[in-house]
Amino acid sequence: MSSTNSSDKSGIRLEHLRKKYGDTIALEDLNLVARPGEILGIAGPNGAGKSTMVKILASETNQTSGTITLNGAPWDPREHKKQVAIVHQEPQLFANLTVAENILVGIEKSKYVRPKSSQVDQNLLDEVGLAQYAHRRLGSLPLAIQQRTEIAHALARSADVFLFDEPNSALTEDESGELFEWMHKLANEGKIVFLVSHRLSELAAHCDRVVVIIDGKAKVEIEKNELTEERISRELMTGVASKRASLAQAGKNTTNLLTVSDWKHVDEVFKPIELSVMQGEILAVIGVEGSGGREIVRSLSGFAPTTGEIAMQETKGSAVTKQVAFVSGDRSNSLFTNFSVGENLYVRLENRIKTKLRTVSRSSARAIAESAKSEFLVRAASIDTPIRSLSGGNQQKVAIASALALKPQMIALEEPTRGVDISSKAEIYKLVREYVLQGNAAVFYCTEVSEVFDSADRAAVVFDGKIKKILDVTKFNDAESLAEAISQATAS
Amino acid sequence: MSSNTNQRGQNFKQSFGRTAGLLGAILLVVVLFAITSHGLFLKPANLLGLLRYMSSLAIVGFGLTAVLITGEIDLSFGAVYGLSSMLSGVAWIVWGWDLWQSILLALCGAAIVGLFNAFFTTIVKIPSFIATLGASTIVFGVDLLVSKSNTLSPLSPPNGRVIPKSELKFFSELSNHALPGGFPMQLLWMLLAAFVFWYLLTKSLFGFHLKAIGGNQVAAEFAKIKVRKYKMWAFIICSVAAASAAILDSSYINSMQPDSGAGLLFPTFAAVVIGGASLIGGRGTVSGTLMGCLLLAILANGLALLGSGAFLQQMFVGAVTIGAVVLDQTTRARRKE
Repeated sequence: MSSTNSSDKSGIRLEHLRKKYGDTIALEDLNLVARPGEILGIAGPNGAGKSTMVKILASETNQTSGTITLNGAPWDPREHKKQVAIVHQEPQLFANLTVAENILVGIEKSKYVRPKSSQVDQNLLDEVGLAQYAHRRLGSLPLAIQQRTEIAHALARSADVFLFDEPNSALTEDESGELFEWMHKLANEGKIVFLVSHRLSELAAHCDRVVVIIDGKAKVEIEKNELTEERISRELMTGVASKRASLAQAGKNTTNLLTVSDWKHVDEVFKPIELSVMQGEILAVIGVEGSGGREIVRSLSGFAPTTGEIAMQETKGSAVTKQVAFVSGDRSNSLFTNFSVGENLYVRLENRIKTKLRTVSRSSARAIAESAKSEFLVRAASIDTPIRSLSGGNQQKVAIASALALKPQMIALEEPTRGVDISSKAEIYKLVREYVLQGNAAVFYCTEVSEVFDSADRAAVVFDGKIKKILDVTKFNDAESLAEAISQATAS
Repeated sequence: MSSNTNQRGQNFKQSFGRTAGLLGAILLVVVLFAITSHGLFLKPANLLGLLRYMSSLAIVGFGLTAVLITGEIDLSFGAVYGLSSMLSGVAWIVWGWDLWQSILLALCGAAIVGLFNAFFTTIVKIPSFIATLGASTIVFGVDLLVSKSNTLSPLSPPNGRVIPKSELKFFSELSNHALPGGFPMQLLWMLLAAFVFWYLLTKSLFGFHLKAIGGNQVAAEFAKIKVRKYKMWAFIICSVAAASAAILDSSYINSMQPDSGAGLLFPTFAAVVIGGASLIGGRGTVSGTLMGCLLLAILANGLALLGSGAFLQQMFVGAVTIGAVVLDQTTRARRKE
């Protein structure tokens, strides 16, 4: 159905693509074909290998093994950088130059003279509708215009492979619509267009085919005639182990631990919300990027400017947020790369490692680190191993363990399993579960329904800065029905 | 996995490798100067003089190490050194304050500069490079204003002012107290400072947190470490260390010169960086800084003995600094492989 044009060999073919970062396998064995004239959708949970694929095509990294061919001939992205255009959520251009200058970067006519804006092909500017912005500084223009500049930049270099990597997560609906028109236009001109996205409805609406990547492999390819949002979502869900942690029910308790009311972000990133977290539960806050869900979770630990009331048992106000431990979803914001595994594990534990003379007690610090290392199943040769040499999953365990070692009553986690392999994922959720069962609670921000289904007791669905609905996750029998309830809640 | 079964041993080997490299370099220049200076270099008087010069460099260097560990930079300590020297001198000799009050004034003045640096770096949030560069110029201006750009000496006070003999003796003895074997008094102060800083940077919770902040400031904030407070103390400590060295040096030469800190900036940076402190933070030790200062003091002394003049000295110190950092980076990159 999809290959209405040209022979078998045309397009980009990825064969047995494999990428390892240290011990971590980012791509296991990826096989797929992208043909000119179509929009190929790429779906998959975080950490499945989508961004690794993009990075390889963008020649930001190279594969460990496997081949890429273009129209049947071996093709190395590093030798054909100008052929590939990447449109990111954040444009990778020069904010300090004008639109015209940005388009000229890399195709300057002279090696020595600063290019003049007038050298830009006027037809191109008209075609992409940038003529009126040509002499404006890029940084001062809206994101949508910046992305269009990126497209024009690529067209000026006569690129023929376009990778759209979550391009519209920060755009308004109208702007997104325009961007999709552009994608179709490019495809109609015979370019190869990839669309990597989390938004299933858009994949279903705009793509000719969708490849679902799970655990570094192309799990399934959905052709146009069966391409629906539900179908993609079903493929995504079933990819992840869908067994429910049986501990969930046992820990049920209805005592409120933490309550917020009239709790709102100072800049209205989320509007006034009411929310209570119960002892012994894991509460998921689910919503797309920009929905305000991330900020709600951060605010509980005092990392977002808020007004309103917050109370945890007898304490109130900022005394509460001080006690809530927080772990960022980005490991580069949660680990100390100049420290060993052990030092990372006890860096937060001021009160448990200091002596009367305010020195660090090596012996108690090491003892704490050793026990945390074994309790959290951190796979490292010793606590003196540099943190950098661990795999992503083990690094994440260290990040979460360092917060749990504080023994806080509540922990706020941001995408606790982002970029983590499946087995570490299960272990992380098991450890968080054990921790909440001791009368504590955990709140985490997440974008994946399957993860919420696997790990949470309740899910707060956030959309447009509001909590649309709080769902009892245990009432759902499978992730699909939960996903449906979540999308219904968002639509309402 | 099997390759790092004995990680602790390996970590030790790495830091030992670095120390051994520095010691090797020190040994090399010692032998070099011993030969080329026809034995002049190894004369006890020369070696003791060298150690005295090193001690004032090291006291300032320890303070700078604390700031560098947090990932910030301080370019104002040279000017603070000059200001503190003049503040104590003017208060004591010209205004007629008691000696202890004058020294206290100098230390407080330095602490205020540290606070100034911390305020603009952590609250106004401008880069410490600019904040402290600006502070340096302001402080030097204040220094010239206070001193009217005069050199002072307690031995020749202005007309009508009589300085008590006991104060004169105490001040001079700060750095000139006769110790057995001609051991420089300042070296003793340096050893004391080294102990205090070793305790602070290596043993204390304070030092541990400084290192965490320098390693990853965002992570430190998320871990609820009080980043601002720690940085403030690092800047204050750096300024006060420079002031202490200034007072000891003016005691040694029994005079105060307004521009005395001008030549301090580069050698101190060179010594600290050669000692292994990283300009991006998270790394730096007292022992490294000590050895860096020793290497630099030997270079300065040896080249002076050779009569090579200040110009060659300058070039040499610059080259050695770059060389040391290049060497460190390449070995570090290789270890990572």
